[in-house]
Amino acid sequence: MAKSMEQLMELIDKMPDEKAKAGEFILPELMAIAIAHEVLNDDVVFAGTGLPMVGIMAANMLNAPNAVLIYESGICDGKTMHVPMSVSDQRAANMCSTLGGLVDTFGYYLQQGFVTLGFLGGAAIDKYGGVNVTSIGDYYAPAHRFTGSGGNSDIGTMAKRTAYIILQEKRRFLERNDYTTTPGWWCWDFKTREWKPKKEVWKGTPYQDCGPCGVVTNMGVYRFDEKGIIYLETLHPGITVEKVKENCGFDLNVSKVKGETPNPTYKELFVLREFVDPELIFLPAKTEYPAAIKSIIG
Amino acid sequence: MARIRGKAKKAEIMTLEEAVKKYMHNGIQIAFSGFTGFNRNPMAFAWEVVRQKFKDLHVIDRHGSCCTWLLNTVGAIKVYETDWMGWGEMAGKLDINMERIYKAGKIILEDYSHGAMAMRFLAGAIGAPFIPYYAPLGSDLYNVDYDALGKAGQRSGKNPRIPKKKFIQIEEPFFGDGEVVLLPAARPELAVIHVSKVGDKGTARWRGVGTIDKEIAFACDKVVITAEEVVPEGEMRKDPEANQIPFFTVDAIVEVPWGAFPSGVPFYYDYDAPFMREMDKASRNVDDLKKWLDEWVFAPKNWEDFVVKLGARKLLSLKADSTTGYSTKMMRGKNPAPRMKMPLSVARSGY
Repeated sequence: MAKSMEQLMELIDKMPDEKAKAGEFILPELMAIAIAHEVLNDDVVFAGTGLPMVGIMAANMLNAPNAVLIYESGICDGKTMHVPMSVSDQRAANMCSTLGGLVDTFGYYLQQGFVTLGFLGGAAIDKYGGVNVTSIGDYYAPAHRFTGSGGNSDIGTMAKRTAYIILQEKRRFLERNDYTTTPGWWCWDFKTREWKPKKEVWKGTPYQDCGPCGVVTNMGVYRFDEKGIIYLETLHPGITVEKVKENCGFDLNVSKVKGETPNPTYKELFVLREFVDPELIFLPAKTEYPAAIKSIIG
Repeated sequence: MARIRGKAKKAEIMTLEEAVKKYMHNGIQIAFSGFTGFNRNPMAFAWEVVRQKFKDLHVIDRHGSCCTWLLNTVGAIKVYETDWMGWGEMAGKLDINMERIYKAGKIILEDYSHGAMAMRFLAGAIGAPFIPYYAPLGSDLYNVDYDALGKAGQRSGKNPRIPKKKFIQIEEPFFGDGEVVLLPAARPELAVIHVSKVGDKGTARWRGVGTIDKEIAFACDKVVITAEEVVPEGEMRKDPEANQIPFFTVDAIVEVPWGAFPSGVPFYYDYDAPFMREMDKASRNVDDLKKWLDEWVFAPKNWEDFVVKLGARKLLSLKADSTTGYSTKMMRGKNPAPRMKMPLSVARSGY
């Protein structure tokens, strides 16, 4: 018989903190949990729709229960019961602290400096963490036109640190973007028409040290070095350095690889599947639990 | 622009057909309420605009919605000045028709960022000509080469609603806080705002997120409020802190239940994710789209007829419950929504 949510809630602490084995989870689950691990308990998080939202919701239920979730349509500290399909979904506003609008979220919270972590998607990224969500090819006659900035460029430049989730392909990991929607650690100084470190372009503003802190892809997790250049930190299970290099459009620094991205634990998978997205809106499917976990669920 | 007025506006109650006829014209600069395709889109109004065949619209908005999706299906938008050209997030991200029209050179897209559009409307709302905003310096959004309205020769000053520059970057002159961007105010002619409740004199309220609807109401010359219900003005005055739009900004009031469908109105009804996915699917093929338009836009006699066509079963599945403000009966994904009493994050953070 199906368990009630209250019964399932009681089972969370009985779930082992042990890592699940290959085949017991799918890649989007690994990625969602990798996102969750970026969130600290005292973060104020501003996340975009999709897997970033799933990941931060999981964090809010696991490792960072006190993290404040800001949704750009005007929601401060939403406590969701059902995963939102949009940042304006009433589900995101459940039990929130205050409810306002975009001037609140982008002005009072973001530009005022309250946001410590942004979590965003992107169509393409350059080696300095600059993101393109606008167009590929000539801006006025593009090969592909995407949706454009939305809140990406605001959050990605004014949140203390920002992590991105991007599909890794050679054409999406680039030396330089065709169009930089959200500047990374290097960007254009349009006054002098020079490509410069963000710290110089934004010098004197309160945001000069804000920028990308990590990237989660379908192949690995990335960080940025002191020069603002991306490097590979961990590889997802089953992925090789060669495969990552094949799917990267520039000479990637792989000298700092620390090993494999940790598999999600059974507890993390249980929360993700039963509480974050049991409706299977973002997660494509639910993998069967191994026998030991099934016996705990009963 | 600040419009010095000699007397207070007086809101007029009218039908959807009358409001569209009276306030729309070809080439109008217009802004819609809501957030993407999910929340309080004045869809009935946009639907009637398509039926009355208005065209060459200049939409200036926070992002795409069900309204812009529908207007793009018939190529009614000529200039689209916004920050996000999608419409339905997880139900159909990029507007396929818009991309098709754009690649054919039939629409001008002017890109800004989300916060920048909010700030432009804030400036418009308070009668300021421009507003400083930091983000995103160093982005191609603020590359003078990528100024679509400028490239199209529309920044000559001939159209007073189009600023002569997309932006200006200056050195912050008062505190020495680095470089900052000045953004021109948004000053559209018409705001169309869908709310849950409006008084018969025009005082309006919604529940749920505000997005930039209050700013839009003040930034535009004329304001049409479409609402789930029109109530006596005195009712709205019993709980004034719940109101957002003061009556003297409003020109027209239209009562149009289910007028935001397929987007949602918190505490009234939810968005219809399956219907939005069908819209997205139809837009991927010209023949399917024509069939969709014939069936859902041109065949119904009026909006009421459209709602009747949706059927009681659908409306029941979307009806919001009074505690959460949304529906847990709609199939959004592969499984039904679980019954929840408390968010897990609250249970685990201990308050």
